[in-house]
Amino acid sequence: MFSFDPYSPAVDADPFPYYKTLRDEHPCFWSKEAGMWVLSRYADIVTALNDWQTFSSAKGNLMTELPNRAGATLGTTDPPRHDRLRGLIQHAFMKRNLESLAEPIKAAAREVAEPLRGEKQFDFVEDFSAKFTVKVLFAALGLPMGDEAQVREKAVLMVQSDPHTRTKGPEHIAAYNWMQDYASKVIAERRRNPQNDLISHFSMAEIDGDKLDEREVLLTTTTLIMAGVESLGGFLAMFALNMADHADARRQCVANPALLADAIEESLRFNTSAQRFRRCLTRDHTLHGQTMREGDFVCLAYGSGNRDERQFPNPDVYDIARKPKGHLGFGGSVHACLGTAIARISVKAAFEEFHKVVPEYRRVQEQLPWMPSSTFRSPLRLDLAPA
Amino acid sequence: MPKVTYIEPSGNQVEIDVPVGWSVMQSAMSNGVEGIEAECGGSCACATCHCYVESHADVVPAAGETELSMLGNVVAERKPNSRLCCQIKMTPELEGLVVRFPDAQS
Repeated sequence: MFSFDPYSPAVDADPFPYYKTLRDEHPCFWSKEAGMWVLSRYADIVTALNDWQTFSSAKGNLMTELPNRAGATLGTTDPPRHDRLRGLIQHAFMKRNLESLAEPIKAAAREVAEPLRGEKQFDFVEDFSAKFTVKVLFAALGLPMGDEAQVREKAVLMVQSDPHTRTKGPEHIAAYNWMQDYASKVIAERRRNPQNDLISHFSMAEIDGDKLDEREVLLTTTTLIMAGVESLGGFLAMFALNMADHADARRQCVANPALLADAIEESLRFNTSAQRFRRCLTRDHTLHGQTMREGDFVCLAYGSGNRDERQFPNPDVYDIARKPKGHLGFGGSVHACLGTAIARISVKAAFEEFHKVVPEYRRVQEQLPWMPSSTFRSPLRLDLAPA
Repeated sequence: MPKVTYIEPSGNQVEIDVPVGWSVMQSAMSNGVEGIEAECGGSCACATCHCYVESHADVVPAAGETELSMLGNVVAERKPNSRLCCQIKMTPELEGLVVRFPDAQS
């Protein structure tokens, strides 16, 4: 009897065989372990993303939601409120408005890569991506320096879940609470001394003449920090893993760094760190002969849609020449990732500089320690050995 | 499924069946049509799925407030028939819709 448990370490390690069975045999599957439906085919996921009136985000979008968060962030509100909230923030994240960050991001990558020169072995997560992501995020959000290591540690913890209790553990909740306190101090500081930065603008913004409520300001800021640190860091680790495992692709990218852009898109398709998000049904909905009920939660398995051969031929092949348009590596529709442009710029800059220092490398561990998370997937440690 | 004809910047025409409920942007992206970037993924927040609507002028629902203001950010010439195609949802009435993509999106 087939089961799909997004809390199991086996799914953390390798969800792809499960996804294939889901797509082929159970395209609308009730996971009793997760207590929700799972949609796994590309077309079904895209259709659900477009139909936000039926597939609502207002009850939370993380597979294992954090307390008191739903309804107060971009990812956990529906239009029209969502669109107004997003309108306040989006301009700061558009490609053309990020040009001023390009040089600081490149400098951060150089600074973090340089100490790796001559090392026989290092942990890409600890020694590169963690340091780099925090610098990028602090530059992008204008956060005061000094707390970077702790911010990163808490961001990584708060997205995790307990594989046994299938919920957030006390350490995850504590990290989330710590991040809220941190965000609230930053907000208070920006209100006292407004700067020309995102958090200053956002913390004083109004929608339709109403000030944003405190919970929205606080939890949206908390989420931006979490996403900036954890999601960017997680994807960098996945990209490094792909480059280590696919030496031909890496050598092409080292010889011609312009190809990194294509390799990034293919990695977003092939094994994006954002594997699964959820929605809640606002009405009964029938799909593939199954009737899902109003109030049921539905998992949209982006990582599976990205491996659906109905959309991507030879989906299990990592091919940087593929140019996988329409992939779900950043989700899609109204809730598509806010940070797409800064993520693309940052990952490209990171590997341009990293490859100058470490052009040839292989992975050391056969088995990777995967993060316990029902939503995200990335290794907690990735040892690389330069050749 | 209703069909949409996409005209790429080169003039090449691509005819695609678009599921009802999908956006005109989504089908272009899922099928690799040239001339569209859709950087934000469809939240009406980036102005890189700019198209010119060449048919069905009276049938395509009018642009909302957010889209109209975002259209101020398009890179190619903004014309009266300029739209962000992530905001055009496919309906049976749009069978045969023709949209043209401009030379540049960003």
